[in-house]
Amino acid sequence: MEKVRRLSDFTHKLNKTALSGKWGKGLTDLEITLDGNCPQNISEELEYAYCIKLIAENASIRILPGEKIIGSATLKQSAYHKIPVMKDGKIRFPSVSHLTLGFDFALKMGYNGLLKDIEERKLKNDLDEKGSNLLNAMKMCIEAANTWHQRHVEALQELIKNSRAVEKCNYEAVLKNIEHIPEKPPSSFYEAAQSLYFMFSFQRLCGNWSGIGRIDEMLGGFLKKDLKEGKVSLSEAREILAHFWIKGCDWLGFEGSQGGSGDAMFYQNIILGGINAEGKDITNEVTYLILDVVEELKINEFPIAVRLSSKSPEKLIRRVAEVQSLGGGILAVYNEETVIKALVKFGYPLKIARSFANDGCWEILIPGKTAFIYFPIDVFLILQKTLGVAEKTTAKKYGSFEKLYGAYKKNLSIAIDSFNRIADKDFASGKPATLISLLIKDCIRKGRGYNERGARYTVFSPHAGGLQDAGNSLHVIKSLVYDKKTVKLSGLVRALKNNWEGEEQLRQHILNSMELYGNDSKPADTMVKRVLDDFLQLTGKVKERKGVLRPPGISTFGREIEWREKRKASAHGYRQETPLAINFSPTPGSDKNSITAVIKSYCFMDLKRLPNGTALDLKLHPTSVKGKNGVAALEGVLKAFVKLKGFFMHINVIDNKTLLDAQKHPEKYRGLSVRISGWSARFVTLNKEWQQMIINRTLHK
Amino acid sequence: MKKGLVFDIQKYCTHDGPGIRTTVFLKGCNLNCAWCHNPESIKKIIEIYFTPEKCINCGNCVAVCENGAHLIKKGKHFYSRKKCTLCLKCAGVCDSKAVECVGKEMTSNEVIKKVKEDFEFYEASGGGLTLSGGEPFSQFEFTLELLKKAHAERINTCVETNGAVEKSRLAAVLPYVDLFLYDIKDTGTKRHKYFTGAACDRILENLKFVDSKGKQTILRCLMIKGVNLTAKHLANIANIYMHLKHCKGVELLPYHPYGTSKAEKLGASRKKNTRWIPSETKLQRAKQLLLKKKVEVIE
Ligand code: SF4
Ligand code: SF4
Repeated sequence: MEKVRRLSDFTHKLNKTALSGKWGKGLTDLEITLDGNCPQNISEELEYAYCIKLIAENASIRILPGEKIIGSATLKQSAYHKIPVMKDGKIRFPSVSHLTLGFDFALKMGYNGLLKDIEERKLKNDLDEKGSNLLNAMKMCIEAANTWHQRHVEALQELIKNSRAVEKCNYEAVLKNIEHIPEKPPSSFYEAAQSLYFMFSFQRLCGNWSGIGRIDEMLGGFLKKDLKEGKVSLSEAREILAHFWIKGCDWLGFEGSQGGSGDAMFYQNIILGGINAEGKDITNEVTYLILDVVEELKINEFPIAVRLSSKSPEKLIRRVAEVQSLGGGILAVYNEETVIKALVKFGYPLKIARSFANDGCWEILIPGKTAFIYFPIDVFLILQKTLGVAEKTTAKKYGSFEKLYGAYKKNLSIAIDSFNRIADKDFASGKPATLISLLIKDCIRKGRGYNERGARYTVFSPHAGGLQDAGNSLHVIKSLVYDKKTVKLSGLVRALKNNWEGEEQLRQHILNSMELYGNDSKPADTMVKRVLDDFLQLTGKVKERKGVLRPPGISTFGREIEWREKRKASAHGYRQETPLAINFSPTPGSDKNSITAVIKSYCFMDLKRLPNGTALDLKLHPTSVKGKNGVAALEGVLKAFVKLKGFFMHINVIDNKTLLDAQKHPEKYRGLSVRISGWSARFVTLNKEWQQMIINRTLHK
Repeated sequence: MKKGLVFDIQKYCTHDGPGIRTTVFLKGCNLNCAWCHNPESIKKIIEIYFTPEKCINCGNCVAVCENGAHLIKKGKHFYSRKKCTLCLKCAGVCDSKAVECVGKEMTSNEVIKKVKEDFEFYEASGGGLTLSGGEPFSQFEFTLELLKKAHAERINTCVETNGAVEKSRLAAVLPYVDLFLYDIKDTGTKRHKYFTGAACDRILENLKFVDSKGKQTILRCLMIKGVNLTAKHLANIANIYMHLKHCKGVELLPYHPYGTSKAEKLGASRKKNTRWIPSETKLQRAKQLLLKKKVEVIE
């Protein structure tokens, strides 16, 4: 495809510096401590607020010449996912991620509006001590945010004094733009974009990693009005959004430890497109401008998920396919029809369901109204225990397939009961998260924080992992042990315990003659569906208890790597050392046909019963999306995915040669980004096992 | 129902006609091109692929073969194609697919059922079924049956052909074909005969016929350095294109010795002609040449 160039040279230069990782490498390691900076014997909530105050007063301010959007989160500790304030030599409070805050309502109200809400709530005079502490702490958090804003004003004034000509003009424009926001509601597109960035970035500065949510819905109205009044042109708006995106790269290059999952882009997910609460499609100029920006600047610091439906504008689907075909895994898609159905089926009101976003990865939640955590359950391990393959278990006998299945289901039921008991107890840390609570609906009203069930929806999701591997294994066992009687169960279990040693012929037979999940083959898919249906039936018994919603989901998020140790070898022919399936994707290498067959297997499942969601992760070879027809085909894949009632899918366009070369010469591929699941990461920042997992994913031509 | 001989069915083909397509490869070809990408497609019989790397030395094949064609000596596996009568027994007992059949007998219903699995993708992308080979017309009746049935199922159809076929057969399938992927291997008469075993006059004649009947075509031109990558051949292609009313464009396919490794597994010898591979610049030049003559070049 021809290279598009719509943005200014200056913006490209700014982008180049950001993508070089300069800002991420230069984060400041500031030692902020409560000791001596905070009154003694105050409530936890207030102590938390003091932390936020200290951050706002002390974090360094960085404003670059010519940048249109400001508000850098400059502290190193925040990029470690910590509230960067110590007490007695230890980090005082945990920070929060896996959520999307209510930037939509906060933007509309401005901080002053939030303050007003707090005051009005206090006037009701019915708060307990905890409640009034929380609200006082919230007020302090807002004051802190305003301090941080004010420091930007002062810094700009200083810069203006010391600069001339164009540079000075630029600073003045930025200063003018932040005159009223984020305290007051924005009155222009530019102000709105800046206000949103200020609110978002202040959270990041304080160590909280929130998703942004439906940015085009938030900003679209402002742009429409400004365009109509001639206040801004499309290309000016594109520049502003480009600077927003470049700002989002502030932590790129930071070499903190993120475990195996690489520099996971700090969960700053963005949602585009889809319908609003009234059911109207919100796709607007902002949506398209953002796609222009990521296409041209190749920024994927904000992993984007686009909400598609059978009513999506043709243009949107085409643009999504075009951007996807460039690789980098920037865009994933939801089929919002399935998602909304799933939420409504679970019990959410329709209007609420329509406003869904995600948690910064792909799990579904209602932005600004949800406190979220999930609980992984390794369903495949439960099967391995039932068989007596897993660690510390001994081989068991089952006279019929149904007896084996019944035992498995019973063990699954025990695991789910134990999850439910855990979910009954404290939610998350139970610790204050006041800055978060401020942007979550009902915390003010209830006088309870995010971690204290103050949110409208407190969600603790049971997530099944390895469900398709359990289905695949059961399919093989049923066929070979009970139907064809090729091998005895005891023999098979022995082979698995020995990691297939000495049973290569049987293993080859299974690998070559059994069609597994991911091949649009009904016998295997039906077994996986059965395993799924039973998981849903069992989790469905407790949808809500003790004020905690429990919508099920399916995920592994890379856990399949660490899970190998207990799982041992699998009946569907995989040795212990080979990681099994991620999320709801096929077991690597078992999808032998085509991406279409994989999608059909996935869509054969009753996905509308998964209100917390599940992901399909695919890898396509660049040649298959080449040329006009390649993009048209990808467009077809997206449309068919919607028609077949898929849920969430992301496609990495990349060839293994590139990945293998990147393993050898990481220095040449610093910017090479791959989508892992709900998040993207630069390939070279992943550890070896995670890299291998991406390479092992079947590459479809 | 008479069965056809299919050697592969590939889904999600994105460059075998418009949209997302399932390409059904039929076995058997009337030409014998020196550069064939699909040597397994030439003979209209089921053959044996042998991939020694996959062999786990289980001995099943040795036990089952009545002609002593398999032999394992000191962990090394020897397979004699001379002794082999292609009874196919060994392929049935090899779990690791070190010996496997190339080609499968299928009824048209079986093929259509498989093709239909991706129906939603065809609908969403304007795709459908592509028949390829070999040469689909070497299984004329089966081809006709597949095309008829596909159309009855509202599946769009493309046929890839070398065009060296009887006109009456072309005429018979016309109502059931939406587009022909039409090979133009060469336009130098002598050279064409030398490298493919057939003259190109009839091929070009048939192309005109198809066009006169209002059928859409895409011209597929294999670019082989040192054989047909010449200004004259490209000018001829442009000329052919200009005289067609329903041609959607020209695809330039660089020669690639894909066929060699497959030929090895078949026991056929085929020279790996690396000198035939055109460079990227040469290809670009060819493309520019066509573009200058207002030819629609399909990527
Ligand atoms: S095809 Fe038949 S004859 Fe040939 S090697 Fe196999 S078993 Fe022997
Ligand atoms: S049956 Fe297959 S694996 Fe076994 S010896 Fe023969 S070729 Fe090798």
